[in-house]
Amino acid sequence: MNRTPDREDVPAPPNRLGLAGIEFIEYATSRPQALGQVLENMGFRPVARHRSREVTLYRQGGMNLVVNANPDDARVSRNADGAPVLSAVAFRVQDALRAHQRCIELGAWGVPSHAQAMELHIPAIHGPGGSRFYFVDRWDEFSIYDIDFKPIPTVDPHPPALAGMAYFGVVQYIGMGRSADWLTYFEQMFDFQSIPDEQRFGILPKGKLMKSPCGGFLWQLVEPEPWMDSGEDSPECLQRLGLGTPDVAAAVQALKARGVEFVESSQLHPEDRGALTRSTLGSLAFELVHR
Amino acid sequence: MGAAAMNMLAGYGMDTITLAGSLEAKLAAMKRAGFSQVMLMARDLVGHPGGVEAAVQAVRQSGLRPTGFQVLRDFEGLSGHLHGYKIDIAKSMLQMCAATGAKVLLACSSTSRHATGDLDQIAADLRKLAMLAVPLGIRIAYEGLSWGRHVNEFTTAWDVVQRADCPNLGIGLDSFHIVAAGTPLAAIEDLDPSKIFLVQLSDFMWQETPSFEERMTTARTFRVFPGEGVHSEQLADLVLRLERIGYRGDHSFEVFNDDYQQLPLDTVAERARRSAIWLHTDVLHRSAPLPDWTRGQARSPA
Repeated sequence: MNRTPDREDVPAPPNRLGLAGIEFIEYATSRPQALGQVLENMGFRPVARHRSREVTLYRQGGMNLVVNANPDDARVSRNADGAPVLSAVAFRVQDALRAHQRCIELGAWGVPSHAQAMELHIPAIHGPGGSRFYFVDRWDEFSIYDIDFKPIPTVDPHPPALAGMAYFGVVQYIGMGRSADWLTYFEQMFDFQSIPDEQRFGILPKGKLMKSPCGGFLWQLVEPEPWMDSGEDSPECLQRLGLGTPDVAAAVQALKARGVEFVESSQLHPEDRGALTRSTLGSLAFELVHR
Repeated sequence: MGAAAMNMLAGYGMDTITLAGSLEAKLAAMKRAGFSQVMLMARDLVGHPGGVEAAVQAVRQSGLRPTGFQVLRDFEGLSGHLHGYKIDIAKSMLQMCAATGAKVLLACSSTSRHATGDLDQIAADLRKLAMLAVPLGIRIAYEGLSWGRHVNEFTTAWDVVQRADCPNLGIGLDSFHIVAAGTPLAAIEDLDPSKIFLVQLSDFMWQETPSFEERMTTARTFRVFPGEGVHSEQLADLVLRLERIGYRGDHSFEVFNDDYQQLPLDTVAERARRSAIWLHTDVLHRSAPLPDWTRGQARSPA
């Protein structure tokens, strides 16, 4: 392609943390086997176990997913009858320490580290509800999992992604009238950019949408409907993962063959744009989005 | 207390600092007087014999809605160790505020001579405070104390809030400080009503308070309820101007008064109730709900 040289030096959108995608997603649960089964149906494979804690690493393609059943971390799940909780998102950044410091200076709440001897200290800040945002900078030259995790013998450490799936976004439930607060928070902390309401992906177009400054993933804020009982005091949390795939129909077919059920209603019929898995183990669901 | 009078008091609340006694006794007296909300002072929680947890329990059990939580002082404009120290204090205040279910934390403009007067720096610090408050679902109301070192009028506080440009950072208005500082009320027109997070009302007995010292002493020992002092006209003017620009939020009585601290709680709460009714009917000319006997008469029994 014939490229026109930049004549006007238009500045790129700021990405002051050097954000470069999602390194891992963490679920906390007091029923790790039950969650593991759901994840395996979704195409994830257990590839490694933590050296000192009850934590398992699942993977497919470029997606790392950590299941944390460590008693202290899984308490939140135990209190919800073992329902898994989307407990953390780890962002790839250029310099984890500097990213963490910058966020603290801007008004984030730091999370004290519980790393044991010889374990990796991954700096973190508090997210919505009891969730955390981690910062990871060693994703290029070597894997953080080599330090804290032992590979599960005889298992392919890099199982391919089903139907080309990759992390697409995170859905966050927020309180009534709180969109502006959270939009500003994510803009300030992570240089997320708001996406116009007309621009929508998938089949659940509610709420406010932002994209990461690296363009690697989306973030969706969803307020409760005015008629909902919980109203102003509805709890805030990370609710759901969005998985991108180049071919939604093929992904749905492959997942159905593995026993995954999809929501089929007049509004939410699986289609080319996206699909939603039926909730299991409480409100655990995955959203497929065409990318 | 009839339902009609209760309804009239809906937008007004007392402040725990006005009353003597235990937190439970204060809350009960407010409820008996017909109020449905309460402005909480951190000291009332911390000083509870059962600790903060028991105090939070008492607030929740009272059924009174927290108007807000006070007060974070001398927060902004500091640097180095002082800034770090104040961030820690702010975090503790935010956590207590969240525990009570209060949605607004009051932050008063700094009186510290160690604090900078650079309004952009002040705005940046308040923005940081607002960011700390986001995950807890709290809004920050920034109020200009009439003896604040650099910010001592609501107009300057509003300037700072605009510079910070943060959805959960707004302004807190306290009629005492506005009247004591002699800020022209016409500037109320410049405020965005959706960014007024708290309105505190009180009057006092002196015509003028020219010095910071006089303002401080009066503010801390001799405020009275709206309608009881010598600035009723100005107070009414303020409340009407707020009404006119579209403010529909709460009015809280921020009355520090040494005399009220040694009177029976019900006596003081009754004065607060009279004040609320004065504001509601005489100042705002809002109608009292129709008495019970007018309802249901025409309807035939089912």
